[in-house]
Amino acid sequence: MNSRKTTIGVLSALSLSALMLTACSSGGSAAPADGGAPTGTLNFYTDKAAWEPDFKALNASSEPGVNITLNTTGYSDANQYDAFVKQSFRTSKSPGLFSWHTGDSLKKLVDENLVAETSDIWKKAIDEGWVSKDLERYYTFDGKQYCVPMNIAYWVMYYNKPIFEKNGIEVPTTWSELDAAATKLKAAGTTPYYQTSTLFTFQWFQQLVAGTDPALYKGLSTGDVKYTDPKIVAIMNEWLDEQKKGWFSDAGSTTDPAVGLKQGDFAMINFGSFFGGSLDAAGMKSGTDYGFFVIPAKNESLTQTPVAVETGPLCIAENSKQKDLGLAYAEWWMSPEAQTAWGDARGDVPFNPKAKVKDQALAELGQNVASSDYQLVERYFEATPTPILTVALEQFGAFNANPGDPMPFLQKIQDEADKYWAAQG
Amino acid sequence: MSALAKRTTPYLWSARGFIAPGVIIVAVLLYLPLLWTTYLSFTAYDGLGDPQWVGLANYAEMFDDPDFLGSLGNTLLWVVGTLVIPVGLGLALALLTWNLPGGVWLRLPFLIPYAISGIGVGLIWSFILSSNGALDQALGFFGVDETPRWLVDAPLNTVVMIVAASWQGIGVNALLFTIGLNSIPKEPLEAARLDGATGGRLFGSILWPMLRPLTTVVIGLSIVASLKTFDIVLGMTKGGPGRASETLALTMYKETFVNSQYGLGSAIAVFLTVVTMVASILYLRQQLSKKNEI
Amino acid sequence: MSRIIRTSVLAVFGVIWLLPVYLFVVNASKSPLTYTSKEAWVPTDFALFANMGEALQLSGLSASVASTVIYSVVSPLIAVLVGAAAGFAIVALRLRHGFAWFVVIFGGTVFPLQMVILPLFDGYSRVGLFDTQLGMIIVYTAISVPFSAFVMRNFFTGIAHNVFEASVLDGATTWRIFRTVYLPMASSALVAVFILQATFIWNDLLLGLTLSQSDSVRPIVTTLSGMQSTYGGAQLSTVLAAGVLVSLPTVVLFLLTQKFFARGLALGQY
Repeated sequence: MNSRKTTIGVLSALSLSALMLTACSSGGSAAPADGGAPTGTLNFYTDKAAWEPDFKALNASSEPGVNITLNTTGYSDANQYDAFVKQSFRTSKSPGLFSWHTGDSLKKLVDENLVAETSDIWKKAIDEGWVSKDLERYYTFDGKQYCVPMNIAYWVMYYNKPIFEKNGIEVPTTWSELDAAATKLKAAGTTPYYQTSTLFTFQWFQQLVAGTDPALYKGLSTGDVKYTDPKIVAIMNEWLDEQKKGWFSDAGSTTDPAVGLKQGDFAMINFGSFFGGSLDAAGMKSGTDYGFFVIPAKNESLTQTPVAVETGPLCIAENSKQKDLGLAYAEWWMSPEAQTAWGDARGDVPFNPKAKVKDQALAELGQNVASSDYQLVERYFEATPTPILTVALEQFGAFNANPGDPMPFLQKIQDEADKYWAAQG
Repeated sequence: MSALAKRTTPYLWSARGFIAPGVIIVAVLLYLPLLWTTYLSFTAYDGLGDPQWVGLANYAEMFDDPDFLGSLGNTLLWVVGTLVIPVGLGLALALLTWNLPGGVWLRLPFLIPYAISGIGVGLIWSFILSSNGALDQALGFFGVDETPRWLVDAPLNTVVMIVAASWQGIGVNALLFTIGLNSIPKEPLEAARLDGATGGRLFGSILWPMLRPLTTVVIGLSIVASLKTFDIVLGMTKGGPGRASETLALTMYKETFVNSQYGLGSAIAVFLTVVTMVASILYLRQQLSKKNEI
Repeated sequence: MSRIIRTSVLAVFGVIWLLPVYLFVVNASKSPLTYTSKEAWVPTDFALFANMGEALQLSGLSASVASTVIYSVVSPLIAVLVGAAAGFAIVALRLRHGFAWFVVIFGGTVFPLQMVILPLFDGYSRVGLFDTQLGMIIVYTAISVPFSAFVMRNFFTGIAHNVFEASVLDGATTWRIFRTVYLPMASSALVAVFILQATFIWNDLLLGLTLSQSDSVRPIVTTLSGMQSTYGGAQLSTVLAAGVLVSLPTVVLFLLTQKFFARGLALGQY
């Protein structure tokens, strides 16, 4: 291992000198902040490259607030980003602040002692009422907290308001009302739901399983329930029935889903609450052109409606030169002041209940799901171990493209799950 | 042997000096990482901690996967497709514009796609091939309403992606062929013309043999590039639906970067490298060694 | 085939070839607020410059321009000379085991670049090349050399060996023969390799993403690619407008260099 590093080092140095004749100045990056000082320029890495301008906008608040300026580097390919961050822990470039994923991916970093503990920050934030205790569990490993929440999103149903009004449809509050709305829309010639064949293929499965039986949903993520379980097969067959009724949009369409909803390719789309930003950018207005609702539980006897929640962390590398700076920023980040500024920049639901939200509908959503009528379930994407997730996303995509007997699709996912859980011992 | 060796000797050091920069930079920046990848292919490694030696397990797992064969099949389709379409059409384009007044400008429309960035190409072709996209709208205008789902139905999706790649690549091939045509000495051409050779006969007897150095370049590069097909598939179908349009390079990418199975991903990379290397050496040795014997 | 037929065939196919480019520009010109995908072929409105402005502002594209220009000029320039030197060594100087050496260099293109980037990142951060313009120039040169060597080697085989022998008899050194005889004769091939590699580097995403971080070092497409993502960001027409903007310099480069390919080079005189 070490000899390899040395070899690479020596040979790269050789190549460096061999090519010195190109004589070119190296680019000036920001000088690293020295160890102890909690102020300065913090290098921040994120795979949410589209948010780079928003993070930049936040400097206007963080500079007077904690005297830290964020220098954001965005990566457009989330997978390469993950590999880059993992690799950086082995080098002197490990990041003072970086965005990551909850679930399996975070656990791996914690197991290897790669991320800094944030228990003190969490304790303060919870004491101050800056964050709900519900969120804490996604950041807790062996009783200690790591990272802080960057964002939170609830997976809800966005709908095209004019289409609902034209067809005399009210926002459904039960599953049968939702079914009735879909039937009515289809009869009027409008496709009810959006679907795709790549990447975001899991939502409806997540919704159907969690809405039928939250324990069954949880069991899938722990390996206690098999994908070939008769209950799962039955749920897939209901999905198939809906497919056969033509309730889902053409899986071969690559049109941006925000544009699709705008032009009425479909009337509803199940997406995270960050989707409003895309709809606004596509020229729709919240409240008049589009709205959203929490999808009612499929099993109407459930006392709490399950809502899938997604949260992404901001983490600090344990061995980073900028660890102290990262921790100072993370602490500030949790404050209502930071979260209000962030809400202004992003227009997202803040995790901090004390932050002010411009969008009234989003503010209400945040309050509603905190009530006892709802229970949060972890989004399928984070809840499922990665190798199983990869196969599942592919198989749900194949199912959307060519709906048919669910068994072969489920069997492929289960084969991968068997392999994964066997390896976990 | 001895005659050749003697003739070579005076320039031996000089020749080594000329080739050294190329060999050094390629060896340091490309071969060293390859060695590391080869080592990883015998280990279990998730990007954290240290790699654990597992012998040939990754290779066994790779060949065990039924979808690996599908991936291999798609890759071969890419090899054949890009040999037939961009190479064939590129040659035709070069011949058509050769010695044609204004030929340079008539070739330009075919070069512009290469100048467009890969992201732009992926976006615009997704836009064209989407259900109810630009192509379907155009066909609808001419009364064709029943169209296949270009990017969903396999193997059609691979075929249309080859077309998209050809749209971008044909101009480059034409350019390389043109350089070849332009470097053909005038005398044998004029002699052949005086003999009355035109069209097919001129092509067969003079142009094709004289073009061989550049034909070798175009075909050699085409084989290598198509075996590594990645960007366009990731951009347009992500290998889906399911794994229907996946290529080997995409399988490698998924295992490495999505699943963090660096060992398995590296095994696929090594397999891909060996296949590409063997194919290129076989092809190049046959093509180049003849010339070398002069 | 008569000139008229050749010209018409080329013109018709040329127009077909430009249709996607037409779609590219037309849809890059639509305002994101009123955009629909249902009128793909119709130029509904003209917001191209507004979209470009939006793209510039969102991506901070302008900071990357200078460094990207440096990479796309310097690296292919070095690569084309290094490649030509290799070709010269093999073909004109008849390097022993020339084919094997050629395969060594050519082998640099054989394996998938995705597998090279992580070890490269590791090595680069150890020797201090990470996030430097020098580091980017070196890596772009390395990936351009095999293509360059391949084309130049094969181009030189088209030059009769007595050209070399005649120059030797004139008492020229190998370096002088390379510089004053072989390079000038190969100018069209050199230019072709240069523009193809310059375009490739200008449009590179993978290496830029892995080996650089600061705005002043990152290449342009890396900055651009971050604009559109699931988590919000720019709309299709804005991204297309950015694509048009980024593609303009390479299109201009192709236009300007066309005259090099207009006629056969006078190889016959040797």
